[in-house]
Amino acid sequence: MTPLLLGLIGLALALPVPALLARTAWPMLVPRAGIVLWQSFALAAVLAISGAALSTALWLVTHDELTWWRVALHLTIMAIGVLVWARFWWAAWTVYRETQARRRRQRALVDLLGEADGMAPALRILQEQTPIAYCVPGIASPRIVVSQGTIARLSADEYAAVLEHERAHVRRRHDLVLEAFTVLHRAFPRFLRTDAPLVQSQIMVELLADDVARRSFGEAPVAGALVALAGSPTPAGALGVGGAASVRMSRLQQTDPRHPWASVAAYAISAVVLIAPTVLLAVPWMLHAWHTLRT
Amino acid sequence: MPRLGELERSVMNVLWDAPAPLTVREVLDALGERDLAYTTVMTVLDRLGTKQMVRRERDGRAFHYAPALTRDAATSELLHAALDEAGTDRTAALVHFARTVDPDEAKALRAALDEIVARESP
Repeated sequence: MTPLLLGLIGLALALPVPALLARTAWPMLVPRAGIVLWQSFALAAVLAISGAALSTALWLVTHDELTWWRVALHLTIMAIGVLVWARFWWAAWTVYRETQARRRRQRALVDLLGEADGMAPALRILQEQTPIAYCVPGIASPRIVVSQGTIARLSADEYAAVLEHERAHVRRRHDLVLEAFTVLHRAFPRFLRTDAPLVQSQIMVELLADDVARRSFGEAPVAGALVALAGSPTPAGALGVGGAASVRMSRLQQTDPRHPWASVAAYAISAVVLIAPTVLLAVPWMLHAWHTLRT
Repeated sequence: MPRLGELERSVMNVLWDAPAPLTVREVLDALGERDLAYTTVMTVLDRLGTKQMVRRERDGRAFHYAPALTRDAATSELLHAALDEAGTDRTAALVHFARTVDPDEAKALRAALDEIVARESP
């Protein structure tokens, strides 16, 4: 019974539950706790599915009567569990490799095409009218890239807020958060996942970087930069992540963006979701052991 | 003495501006830095080679260096990577400040900005 239950929990956490959560707006109120919440769902799904495989293995060796269909069924579940772990580690490895290679290439191009700025060692300015502002994160040599088009469109305050926003991404290693979500996204087969955790986490790290920028410069420069850059003419082939700018703007409109109750709720749900599969796995096993010792 | 990163930029610009592949000596002359050593330029070209930005061609007994991609190609690759948002798996490398929005959303953003500005300066 336990393996089946765990398997169902795992599948539920992989697809329908995140899809439902993505329809609600409240995790966006608390980006940090929201990231933990999303992460815990995906991790719990991996734990539950592999836990299902583990408990099946235990059940197989402890059960007396073995019929062929039971063995076949449980071997299948076991294989799924192994596959989940294999995919997880494979995804982690490939995401790491690809990200490293892409960043090295970006850094090389940026260093050759962009001009260094005396004010900040990581800053590179591109002679380009398309407004862009982004960062290439990294431990040793991060880069913050802005174009002339960006500088031309922003006031001094807004420009400073943009740089602070990008520095926050670099300093707080938001790239690691996104990488973790990318790994979990890739670890699940296409028919068993939603884009929701990845898309939502991308917006949440923007919210966190906005929070840092507004603490230094106030809401108006961050909001002004958002309008100036997001409202610019569309470069060919560029599409927006649905509603990210609106979500960020509505957070900037809140005079106090802290929502302690939503935070507590998100952390509490994360804890339950992570602990439940473990308890489901451990309790019957301990009861069984206790029973065996008594007789 | 310019820093290595700046030198790489200057050398690359020399190669981009040149009509044909250049030898180390030609690059050194084009740079016009009096106290720059021949071996330094060679090192820089070597580094650019490992970064796959420069191609080395053998012409008789001399080596000639050419850019592996044109300046325009490099720029468009950079912009493409920075602006390309197709495929959710690709976003991990870069974190953007803002993405473009449709006109309706832009209008709503502007209204919200006015509200924030009005609030801060009563």
